[in-house]
Amino acid sequence: MNQSLRFLIIILPILILIFFTRVLLIDEDTQLATFEAKNFPTFELDDLNGRPVQSESLGGIKLINVWASWCITCLVEHPFLTELSENNVGIIGLNYKDSDTKANAWLQKHGNPYLFSIYDPRGDLAFDLGVTGAPESYLLINNKVVGHIQGEMNQIKWENIFLPLIQKAQHR
Amino acid sequence: MIGEISHLLSLSAVLLLTLVLIFNLFFSFNKSHPNQLTLSMRLFNHSCWLVFISFGIYVYLAISDDFSIAYIASHSNSQLPIFYKITSIWSAHEGSMFLWIVFLIAWSYLFLNSLNKNHPLKKLTLLMLSLIILGFLLFLLLTSNPFERILPFGAIEGADINPVLQDPALAIHPPMLYLGYVGFVISFSFITAYLLNGNFELQWEQDIKNWSLVAWIFLTIGITLGSWWAYYELGWGGYWFWDPVENVALMPWLAATAFMHSLFASSKSDVLKTWTMFLGILIFALSLFGAFIVRSGIIDSVHSFANDPERGLYLLSFSGSITLLALTIFAYRLPALNSSKLVVSGSKESFLSMNNILMITSIFSIFLGVTYPLIIESIYGEKVSIGPPYYNTIFSPLILIAAAFIMISIDALWQRSMPLRTLFITTVPPTLLSLLSIYIVWRLTGIFSILAFIGILSGLLIIFSYLFKIIKNLSKKKYINKGSAVAHIGLGLLFFAVSMNSILSYEKNLNIAPGQTISVNESVQEFHFKDIRVLKASNHDVISAEVSLLHDGREISLNPQKRKYATRGQITSESAIHASVLKDTYLTIGDQLENGSWTFSLKINYFIKWIWLSAALMVFGMLLTIFKKKAL
Repeated sequence: MNQSLRFLIIILPILILIFFTRVLLIDEDTQLATFEAKNFPTFELDDLNGRPVQSESLGGIKLINVWASWCITCLVEHPFLTELSENNVGIIGLNYKDSDTKANAWLQKHGNPYLFSIYDPRGDLAFDLGVTGAPESYLLINNKVVGHIQGEMNQIKWENIFLPLIQKAQHR
Repeated sequence: MIGEISHLLSLSAVLLLTLVLIFNLFFSFNKSHPNQLTLSMRLFNHSCWLVFISFGIYVYLAISDDFSIAYIASHSNSQLPIFYKITSIWSAHEGSMFLWIVFLIAWSYLFLNSLNKNHPLKKLTLLMLSLIILGFLLFLLLTSNPFERILPFGAIEGADINPVLQDPALAIHPPMLYLGYVGFVISFSFITAYLLNGNFELQWEQDIKNWSLVAWIFLTIGITLGSWWAYYELGWGGYWFWDPVENVALMPWLAATAFMHSLFASSKSDVLKTWTMFLGILIFALSLFGAFIVRSGIIDSVHSFANDPERGLYLLSFSGSITLLALTIFAYRLPALNSSKLVVSGSKESFLSMNNILMITSIFSIFLGVTYPLIIESIYGEKVSIGPPYYNTIFSPLILIAAAFIMISIDALWQRSMPLRTLFITTVPPTLLSLLSIYIVWRLTGIFSILAFIGILSGLLIIFSYLFKIIKNLSKKKYINKGSAVAHIGLGLLFFAVSMNSILSYEKNLNIAPGQTISVNESVQEFHFKDIRVLKASNHDVISAEVSLLHDGREISLNPQKRKYATRGQITSESAIHASVLKDTYLTIGDQLENGSWTFSLKINYFIKWIWLSAALMVFGMLLTIFKKKAL
């Protein structure tokens, strides 16, 4: 009993340490991973005001931002998204597993940086898109998904990951 | 130039601390010279003062708007009041780490200098503390240097502090929390020193008791202020969100609470000594874990600082090594520590060891809640989030068991079993009264919620049993442990208030044009939107609404505001709150709609004041314990 307790007191923290080291190192890898461009999935959904979303509205360069009123990190990235929209970046919201009343109230309370928000309460479109949670952001160039960021969008990620992709596309 | 002096002072402190370590590690295991400790202490004290002065200069730099320092340029602004220029230092990673270290050093300095010169554990404690301080100073200077300059030309104006941080509660929340977190470095180092020393005849409990009590008070105040700030300033309308960073503050708090209880027991008798030592090590280990979670950015949260894997790896490896070192020594000494005495079942010690087990279970549950999303992500690549439902379900049974034990143990005796008759007399009246109260709550509100009722029951069991005890002892003129009674009633009140809040509070979203009056429900008969105005303040524009409510027959006027800050363009909502004894009327203004009307969110929150009161009672109880004349 005593022996196994002594063993446990040392082994458990070591396991926790190994685990967190792994998490830290993986985080770095995923950020470097390249993303393969694919077509935006087809869908039939309404926006948060109940109007059907037209697929033409997704043309050009658009930032698709997955958000929800229950998502705390979405509040963190919200000021930066507002700044982007003020600089004429077209942002389309994908309201994920949320209720429209709560989502609209959230937008009214915190401000709306989105051109419009696709209302996806069951997460159908999000599933086809490969969303793992909120917040996430996709870069859409001419109906093709060319970039993907998990978690909070910020200045650094925008400048290091999405901006080069946009410049590359414009260069062509 | 002054910035470089400040930088240099911190660097010199690193040098002196390195000297302390080298000097003692290489020469101590031989016959140590009597002056060795005196010299080491002098080196240590000097390095402390170097860091204090360095921080003092840094504060001066912030006040005098030295925007050639990158950190100050990106977190302060010449337009800020002096108070916020100072608090901007801890509004982000580098500066707050600096403050954290200053506190670490302050605690260590005060503790070591208060120890008797010939105290047998002084040298080993000094070594442990020097090692920890050195590790964190190096972390600061190598990975998160607050002294970095913008070269060749500094910024003309600073980028401003985040407006949500311009609040007195938030300005003192981090310092209080840090004082609490790092205060437990004393129990950590002292216990490690005791274990290394190997003379188990020594009494060590009294030397760290009051230090740990004070740290506990700071930690409690820090957590409460954070909660207060989220409620009043952030406009979230809630006080606790089970956010990962709140959780990592709660874990050391639980460990510290268990430690305090255990410490009282082990200073009375031998039985819980190993528990106490383990908990003493655990608190600081959990504080370090918290620092790692917040500062590595592995969890996205409102609290987390910028993501930087290098910092994360340094913190993880250093905190991990320190913790492992302490735990290894503990495990090595474990066989020698085990007391031959058995815990008498039904005695006070037996209930305190149950308390320890419950606390460890709670800590483990929270730890699991924090790490589970990471585990799932690393195995399946999926993101999951764990929210209030998990914690509520886990905690309700735990607090009910805890409350039951608190009630039963109220008349328990040291080292003696409790007679069945006493047990019966102490438990039956509070239980009956609590159940009756719950029945009344159910009839009055018409709401039936198992989880909330468990919470209310737990709270009332504790409150009633202590009230009975106080009445009984006062009538018999017997001694009452006032500190313990006040703190436990505070805990009971917390359970009660939180549960009542969860079943009674509600929220309404309204659309209303200026000049209009509407009726919301039976309680809020009139909602009159009088006027809306745009005002200018020094560093922001304000949209201010004037609203008057007829709430339960009383007229209340409220002025919710929206502010747009000039420098960062950030918009914040200033909720208007009218607080009465039982409930808060919490009004937030939203956006203007196309037809000219405005949206409002009206929240009626019950028992909020009682939550703050309960925290105040716990702190007050702990203060009574510190200043009690009779030694425990």
